[in-house]
Amino acid sequence: MSSSPNRSLHRFANPGQFLRLSGAVLPYLAIGAALLTALGLGWGLFVSPADYQQGDAVRIMYVHVPAAWLATGGYTGLAVCSAMSLIWRHPLADLAAAEIGPVGAGFTALCLATGSLWGKPMWGAWWVWDARLTSVLVLFFLYIGHVALVRAFDDPTRGYRAGAILALVGVVNLPIVKFSVDWWNTLHQPASIKLTGAPTMAPEMLWPLAIAALGYTLCFATIVTMRTRAAVMERRIRGLLMARAASDPGA
Amino acid sequence: MTHLAFVAVAYALGVGVPLAFALTAWQRAAAARRKLAAIDPRGQRP
Amino acid sequence: MTRKRRRLYVLLACAIGLGSATALTLTAFSDNLVFFVSPSDIATKGASGRTVRLGGLVEQGSVQRGNGGATFKVTDGASSVTVRYAGILPDLFREGQGVVTLGTLQSDGSLKASEVLAKHDETYMPKEVAEALKKSGQWKPDSGPPPPSSTWNKR
Repeated sequence: MSSSPNRSLHRFANPGQFLRLSGAVLPYLAIGAALLTALGLGWGLFVSPADYQQGDAVRIMYVHVPAAWLATGGYTGLAVCSAMSLIWRHPLADLAAAEIGPVGAGFTALCLATGSLWGKPMWGAWWVWDARLTSVLVLFFLYIGHVALVRAFDDPTRGYRAGAILALVGVVNLPIVKFSVDWWNTLHQPASIKLTGAPTMAPEMLWPLAIAALGYTLCFATIVTMRTRAAVMERRIRGLLMARAASDPGA
Repeated sequence: MTHLAFVAVAYALGVGVPLAFALTAWQRAAAARRKLAAIDPRGQRP
Repeated sequence: MTRKRRRLYVLLACAIGLGSATALTLTAFSDNLVFFVSPSDIATKGASGRTVRLGGLVEQGSVQRGNGGATFKVTDGASSVTVRYAGILPDLFREGQGVVTLGTLQSDGSLKASEVLAKHDETYMPKEVAEALKKSGQWKPDSGPPPPSSTWNKR
């Protein structure tokens, strides 16, 4: 803690401001997440129509597709935090990246599990090694590797640095996940909602899907914000305890 | 409803996973806030 | 400031290198990354005794269900392969539907399948819409995918 005043200001001003700002936003974020997720999933489960081929198994889509979007979107957030950490050495980006990892892994696992639950009755198999499923499994392992690597060092800074490099290397997997269904023959169907052209999905199914996806996005943001707040406070506790131990050698 | 078991498990996971993450994160933040309030000489923080 | 700038350039250079290496690798191994081959592929370079994953549409009127199994033709429009399968067919299996079958090529050009998976397409619509589209002639399931969803409401 003997660094220049400028540097210590940089280290502490931002996390303090983050705690104040996120504390003000968090309640609205959490309420929005709960309401939209409940509305989207409830609509998908009870109101939306059954599919002409899949029957009611189509309802699994309202969980599976938002989870898949959050798996890739969360990884994008992890990569952005990692770049901010490597280039600007931003201390909050380190903490946020470490907290995004487990949440992203959880949503990727949710995507894989619900996909399996759809695949068994529809395809006739829990799992196949096609390019889409395999690349999402690789995404899951990247998350797990990041979680383990960040926490593997005694010096947290080295852990953050190594985790950031792993996360940025793993970014090559994101276009593979997205375009695997277009580049190669896969058992997984191509996207129904495209950047160009009309979606090949009925509007009465598209609406609950969009709301569930928005709700899940807010859930992800709420969870990561709460975890990052906890991490900032835990770091401050560690700092205070160390300062106390240093100034009180008799204890 | 067709495929009821598959749909039911998928929705149980779809609600349970985010909820479990949110509850543990909330607990962790609350514990950190309590501890910080107890040891921080500058008084309680947001 | 210059140090940050330098770190940014190093990172960008690494990204370009890694990205092009990955792209080259994926292009080189493209043949191994496909999950299944088409009947046309088998017609041009198929050899009997080989284990292949064959994908295509179940040909209209070709399904014969027998004792505990089925025989059907898988087509991609250009050529077709006869598939023999003993086992339970998945829910989505029907004529005109996409399937992927794993099996061994026989000397007579047919495929003895050990596994049949149904392939779902990217169309999601309620039963009533599907029936209305078929009834009005807007969509003939035999001849291709349904029209875009923006036209579905004009029943």
